[in-house]
Amino acid sequence: MPGVTSSSSDSALSIVPHSSDSQSPRVYPLRHHGLTPPLARVSISWARGNTLRVSLIQSEAVSKQQTGGEVVEVKLTNMEGGEVTDGQWRRIAYGSVTPFALLQSRKNSMDSSHRSKDWWEHVMEYSREINSLLANSKSSGNVVIEDPKALLKKEEEPTSLKAAWELMEIFYADKQSETCIPERLLDWLADYDCLFSGTQPTVHAKLVDFQKQLVTLQVIENDPKYWEAMSSALAVGWLDIVVKLLHLHGSYQFDQLGNRETENGLVEAVAVLISQMPRMRPDLPSGKLGECYQTKPEFMKAWEKWRSQITKLDCSSFWLQCDHHQTREGLKNMLQIMLGNTSILSHVTYHWIELYISHFLYIRPFTVGLENMCNLAQKCMHLKPISNHHKLMGLIIGILEENIEVVLAECSRSFDPWMITHAIELLTAGSTQAEILLLEEQSKLGGISIEELQRLVYAQVLSSYAMTWNIAPIYLTSCMKQGMGLLENLLYRQPVQNHQVLLKSIEICRLNELGIVSSNMMKIYGVHKWKHGQKGSAVFWLQQAQDEVRLNRIAKQLFDFVGKSVSDESFKQWEGLIELLGTESSTAGSLKFLNIYRDFKRSLLQVHGETTTDAAGKAVESLVSLMKNPSTPQRFWLPVLYDSLKLLNWQERPLLNVAQTHLLLNKLQELSIAKLKPDFINADSPPEALNSVRLALATNLGRAILEE
Amino acid sequence: MDKLILTLDKGTTCTAWNYSGHRLAAGSTDGTVAIYDSTDPVSSTFNCTSRFKVQESSILKVVWIPPEYGDAVACIATDGTLSLWEEVAQDTEALHWKLCKCFERNTSQVLDIQFGDSRTSLKLVAAYSDGQVKIFELLDPLELEKWQVQAEFQNIIDLVSKFGNASCSSASISWNPQRGELQQSSFILGFSSNSPLLNSSKVWEFDQDHQRWLPVAELASPEDKSDQVFAVAWAPNIGRPYELIAVATNKGIAIWHLGSNPDSNGRLSTEKVAVLSGHDGEVQQMEWDMSGMTLASTGSDGMVKLWQSNLNGVWHEQAILAPVFPEQ
Repeated sequence: MPGVTSSSSDSALSIVPHSSDSQSPRVYPLRHHGLTPPLARVSISWARGNTLRVSLIQSEAVSKQQTGGEVVEVKLTNMEGGEVTDGQWRRIAYGSVTPFALLQSRKNSMDSSHRSKDWWEHVMEYSREINSLLANSKSSGNVVIEDPKALLKKEEEPTSLKAAWELMEIFYADKQSETCIPERLLDWLADYDCLFSGTQPTVHAKLVDFQKQLVTLQVIENDPKYWEAMSSALAVGWLDIVVKLLHLHGSYQFDQLGNRETENGLVEAVAVLISQMPRMRPDLPSGKLGECYQTKPEFMKAWEKWRSQITKLDCSSFWLQCDHHQTREGLKNMLQIMLGNTSILSHVTYHWIELYISHFLYIRPFTVGLENMCNLAQKCMHLKPISNHHKLMGLIIGILEENIEVVLAECSRSFDPWMITHAIELLTAGSTQAEILLLEEQSKLGGISIEELQRLVYAQVLSSYAMTWNIAPIYLTSCMKQGMGLLENLLYRQPVQNHQVLLKSIEICRLNELGIVSSNMMKIYGVHKWKHGQKGSAVFWLQQAQDEVRLNRIAKQLFDFVGKSVSDESFKQWEGLIELLGTESSTAGSLKFLNIYRDFKRSLLQVHGETTTDAAGKAVESLVSLMKNPSTPQRFWLPVLYDSLKLLNWQERPLLNVAQTHLLLNKLQELSIAKLKPDFINADSPPEALNSVRLALATNLGRAILEE
Repeated sequence: MDKLILTLDKGTTCTAWNYSGHRLAAGSTDGTVAIYDSTDPVSSTFNCTSRFKVQESSILKVVWIPPEYGDAVACIATDGTLSLWEEVAQDTEALHWKLCKCFERNTSQVLDIQFGDSRTSLKLVAAYSDGQVKIFELLDPLELEKWQVQAEFQNIIDLVSKFGNASCSSASISWNPQRGELQQSSFILGFSSNSPLLNSSKVWEFDQDHQRWLPVAELASPEDKSDQVFAVAWAPNIGRPYELIAVATNKGIAIWHLGSNPDSNGRLSTEKVAVLSGHDGEVQQMEWDMSGMTLASTGSDGMVKLWQSNLNGVWHEQAILAPVFPEQ
């Protein structure tokens, strides 16, 4: 259907189970290419994973119709959510396997009750690895000469996916920075403020706008936008940008120094104060400004001192000597921001989360505890209500409200199953409440935990794609209850008639001890080969599958063929196959017969050529072991004996001793009795065969008795 | 999200995908079946590779045989005949589709069939318009020509009553998809007919000791027993302690739990856990995904609906896929 594109991830089709589904179901348009109503029938079939194939069958009533219908494939979970490309998504999917598997094996090797206090360190290692996968670096190349006027450096394209991951890392996994969550949030906003720009004004958007004008501005300090941009950046703590901008102030230029000394001094004083701002954090990345303090008392002392310096500057008499009106007002305004003037902060920020950060920085730098943080967030949201809800907002609110169910619902609603499956590791590291909710087995979920359910869902999504199905088993094996069941179903749906797929699937079976599944696959492949006339390959794979039923059936077909006559030229065609059938010790007993039979035929053919007693002796050995073998089919006895007439009537001397002759006579007797039964299968032998053999045996017996 | 993967021939009446979703068989009004194949396992482009004439009358339904028995389809035609076609290339012949078996019929028509893959032998259940159920058994695993009737019965719990002149318009069969050594063969069957006792869907299980099929459960509330059944679907079970079965009637789609331990009468416990609104008009088809978590259904309203149980264990309609036509 034209005009329907799902650009926003909210419209992406998702069939991941949620906790709250009170709303009515979503309706998704099924696009097709040229059908006209009415449809005669719509029929469905699940393909691998979450893929649904829909056949839209055109009604015959529509006469002008060109086609009979269309088959549309619908992937029921939109993996990328519109944000990353297929290739990037696959990179993330493949890259996260190792960290995930490593964390699971660490978890398994540790008793859950004695899980060490530093478990979070493992989780952090995992989180950092995953996070690095989400980085979507743009290869901009190294810039040798930095543009002094470039305010915002863009090293990578920020994604909501990475933003959400980092948020959860901050609040759940990183126990080390628990005391400096506001500072980490500040860094987070610096990276991701741009994500909110799409829907409403932000500090980031303002700076981007100003950046564009920067090159054309002659006297920068005369432009009110210059001061506005700096105030906004200062409010959200992007100190380096503010100082950089301050240094662009006209009073720094050499020709200005003589007459604008005081003005320049004031600008520099503010710049120094900004760059000396005390920060409650262990360290700062290079290029970022402020002075770090690790402990609260040290930080408080520094903070008080810094504030008093600002107050002192604010009351300084130098302001009277500053002639440049915009500079004076602009700098004063910035001092007010640093002093925590609520109305100014509210004026220079746009999004509630920007206001939130500015409160942390300048009004309540000592805020700790999620409850206080949550109250403050609500206050900020009240002051700056937003009409358009970004998907990260729900997540932030859920985290601050300590409502793990909301976090879970937001994760699965806004992001693909990859996210929730991997983020659960962070959530469970965060709190016991989360651990109970996520790991408890629930009868309403069919006896599994939410964690397992999410892994199953993710594995199913992985298996929808030909490129990623082979990593699904790693997630399934981490599911204690239903993982193996789903893995079996997944493997049963593999197109194993393709050799590569077969080998890959067998390998997965071997790793997971799924012998039955793997022999079933080999059986499918073997039968496929049999039906396609590739008999050797068919027998080989049926042997691998240890499929006695089919092998016996094939052996029977071979008997029918080889039993006809010894001189049959086409025996050669079958010889190789018999060879193959006989090599495996595990195969059916009846196949062993074929092997001996082949030996017998070979030596018999030799006997036909020459007349040495040695060769004939060998042939007799084969004949006897053939007749002794219990698996030699009865209907085979007569043709074999009839073929051996020459041996039985050997001129030089009797080749069979008394015992051997008795054995053959017994067999002949058995055969005569069996002939009377209704289910006797008559072999294609001449009518005189039985009598000729009996006569030959009797003669041989007489000669043998005489000889002994 | 959605992608066109193949265009069907004019006159197509029904389609069926093989076990791996790499081959499609499509029946048509002129009695031919067309086979579409993808070039390799990664690709999802399909081309018609062969076409063969099955019947003079239109094809009603096509069902693939389990892959352990090769590439073959069973076809039901609107005249009620049932035939089995296989793709082979024996010895020197080229690959072609040949008729293996034309199942004998009396006056009644075949309404639905399903293959059940038990470890010992391949079974085929066929439901007929006179309310009879026949179970055919394959005698030779490599030859699809040889079948014998293993059992024949009616879809009624009370084995004493018999119906002479029942008339059924449709039937729906679904085997328990579970594989494995220990699993008993079982399937569910429901009819849409004029005789109330036949209609309700019953679970039939093969009693190994007595070598006969027994009804072990009836999936209908006492007041709904005479309701006509449009479709049934037995969910794959990857580890639940109970079986999950969907039954569609004119009252909607019911989701049933079926216990695994029989009581003293040999009956399995049943519980109706949800009745979902279903479709505007008849439900035509229901299919569970490979985890048994999502049920997809189609109806005469032309919609595809997806049903799921949420984290609170409540069944609900998760999504609707609606074909959209440009404004006329």
